[in-house]
Amino acid sequence: MKDSTITLCLPGNIRFTRLASLTASKTAELFLSSMKVSKGIDDFQHAFELSVSEAFTNAARYASPSSHPQPVTISFRFEEKQLTASITDSNPAFTIEPPAPDIENYPEGGYGLLLIRSLMDTVSCRRENNTNTITMSKQPEIH
Amino acid sequence: MIIKETKLDNITIVAPVGTLDASTASLLNENKVLSETSATVVLDLSQVDFLDSSGLGALVGIARKKREKKADMVLTSMNDNVRKVFEITQAFQLFDVYDDARSAAEHCRTKTASQ
Repeated sequence: MKDSTITLCLPGNIRFTRLASLTASKTAELFLSSMKVSKGIDDFQHAFELSVSEAFTNAARYASPSSHPQPVTISFRFEEKQLTASITDSNPAFTIEPPAPDIENYPEGGYGLLLIRSLMDTVSCRRENNTNTITMSKQPEIH
Repeated sequence: MIIKETKLDNITIVAPVGTLDASTASLLNENKVLSETSATVVLDLSQVDFLDSSGLGALVGIARKKREKKADMVLTSMNDNVRKVFEITQAFQLFDVYDDARSAAEHCRTKTASQ
């Protein structure tokens, strides 16, 4: 299992958001099955389910044109102690440091990266060859 | 996602069933009880298995519009993963949240009667 990589390529359309997030949850479950994990299983799966949902939504929302959206690639890498998810799109560059939502003013957006950064151990973003890739890693609690 | 509507003590209980994410959030905004009426409602989240920031954004927008009409939307019965999204984003500050629909409806009935 170690060093295995799973890659999924989806149209950049929010209709496919749930397919992306459920794949993330099941991939996290598969990763945990190879490790001696006794607690935090649901939290680990949910962290990937939610983080990939957020990252895919960001990528799909800015994909254009909407009639022929650019594909979004999701890859999962099984490492010795952690699972890493990467989401790559070919949209214009974006920032990973948006301002935190001002909750008292009822903001309807701006929560996505806040959630990802809260749930994952490490989050990074790079711009390369006209693509954006957000990479997110998390270790399960091993006992 | 489907959206069920029932009445309890003359208060409408709206219960979405399934996932609240970017692909389904617009269905909440299109629901007449949630978005068009000035009635205070209970949103029963007991059958929502997953919520992300797009779903949360829809709830925040509906709550804001309700309060602009001097009404409200109170929440009930969220599972642990939905609760976690509210905790991380501090969205609990924006909503009254109850453990069960009956308590939520009682709150709404009392609030409506006092207005």
